[in-house]
Amino acid sequence: MVSLRILLAAIPITALSLAVPLVNRVEPRILGLPFVLAWIVAWVLLTPAFVWSIGRVERRW
Amino acid sequence: MNPAIVALTIVGVLIVGTIGLALFGVRRIKMDPQQYIVGGRSFGTLFLWVLLAGEIYTSFTFLGMAGWAYGMGAPAYYILAYGTCAYVIGYFLLPAIWRVGKERSLLTGPDFLADRYSSRALGVMAALVQFVIVVPYVTLQLSGLQLLLRLAGYGTFDATIAVCIAFVLVAFFVFSAGLRGTAWASIVKDTLVLGAVIFAGVAIPRQFFGSPARLIDQVLRVHPHMLTLLPGTATHGTVWYVSTVLLTAIGFYMGPHSMSAIYSARSENTLRRNAMLLPLYQLVILLVFFAGLSALLIVPGLRGPAVDQSFLLVVQRYYPPWVMGFVAGAGSLAALIPASALLLGAASIFSKNVLGTFGIATSDAGRIAATRILVVIVALLALWFWLEEQRTIVELLLIYYNGITQFMPAVVAAFLWPRANAWGVVAGILAGLALVIVFAITNLSLWGVNSGFVALLANALVLVTVSASTPRRVRVV
Repeated sequence: MVSLRILLAAIPITALSLAVPLVNRVEPRILGLPFVLAWIVAWVLLTPAFVWSIGRVERRW
Repeated sequence: MNPAIVALTIVGVLIVGTIGLALFGVRRIKMDPQQYIVGGRSFGTLFLWVLLAGEIYTSFTFLGMAGWAYGMGAPAYYILAYGTCAYVIGYFLLPAIWRVGKERSLLTGPDFLADRYSSRALGVMAALVQFVIVVPYVTLQLSGLQLLLRLAGYGTFDATIAVCIAFVLVAFFVFSAGLRGTAWASIVKDTLVLGAVIFAGVAIPRQFFGSPARLIDQVLRVHPHMLTLLPGTATHGTVWYVSTVLLTAIGFYMGPHSMSAIYSARSENTLRRNAMLLPLYQLVILLVFFAGLSALLIVPGLRGPAVDQSFLLVVQRYYPPWVMGFVAGAGSLAALIPASALLLGAASIFSKNVLGTFGIATSDAGRIAATRILVVIVALLALWFWLEEQRTIVELLLIYYNGITQFMPAVVAAFLWPRANAWGVVAGILAGLALVIVFAITNLSLWGVNSGFVALLANALVLVTVSASTPRRVRVV
């Protein structure tokens, strides 16, 4: 299960760092936010779900 | 009534009240070094969450983020991203650090390195370097504090003396209350900061523009390229963004104050739950971003270090003095409470890893006494640095991060690569720090990459090369 944990950790980190240059634009605006900012905020909100999933995979909770 | 008196009275009451409450919270605690430095390793999820949030969300978050939103726009997004990445890394790293600390009764970051690499010299070296690196981070808080007090004083007085008084107050607070006192004070501080930030990030945009979306419409009309990053290798472009997020996410937990916070956890799962919950706090930063953008439209024209004032200037000009007092009071606590944690962290590593190694102050009572005296010494040192060398908030943070991140390869290698030894670790850290200093002096730009990131790669490379070409470390288990 090592690979699944690492994958679950790598997804949000990549989305917030390496992927940002690919979504670096204003349109389409989401809830009024420029797309790149909406992308970052969405991933900040999703990250707890990913961390929770890692904990489930490791049977920590 | 004079607005300066109203605002400053509120600031004073908030600071003194918070410290009083924290001292009340720890009144029955008996102090030994475990209790004083790492809170007796007993903090539960919520208390630790508050302590971590209290240490992480400082006057940099409060003023620096708004200042960057105001002065640069999109590059400020990195602040939202790096903490979040750091928490994911922390899910794996923190429980591992905690477990070693518990088994081997470690109190500090340099303890960890000295223990894992069986080298007391490494512990001394790490402690001395970290001690020096922490000073600019404390200085950053002082710059923020001065700004807040000057604005709350409506320009009627020079805030330098007020800063010194507030700071000495905090030094004596840590002196008596230790890490648990900081955690208690963080509860009040976080509540106040949350209130101030919601006001600044929701109420200001609503009142002046109708909604955050309208605010962004207006910003795009005036500054069409401000809310996206510049492409590629430009200054603060996309390459810079990626390398800075990775660098600061990696360096996030390496500060002496963070290591104490990790060790203060009750269990491994306490740390894992915190890794899950802390990203939610990042949303506060989004509100600060809105506040900074609002200020850009309402009070345009600030340049250089003055951008750090951004939304505070709006509050000062358009809101009654009591609002200014609350916002400045919350901001002052956001400078002073993290400063208290930093002072304690720096003092702990010096008393434990430098004095302790040379056989000075090794009894429990002696160690607490030494740590307390050192708290005051670090405080005076930071004050002196601040009076000598006034820089902007962001510059100071970057000095700190570039330096402190150089300890990460050593910590990671301790878990992942049994072949790593003290020689490799020392050589790597020195190489990384040397590069950081060279880059800082020459102002060299490498295709837009954050220079600390380049230094980090060099550090890791040296660690591997030197470790592989010197004898294996002897493992004490």
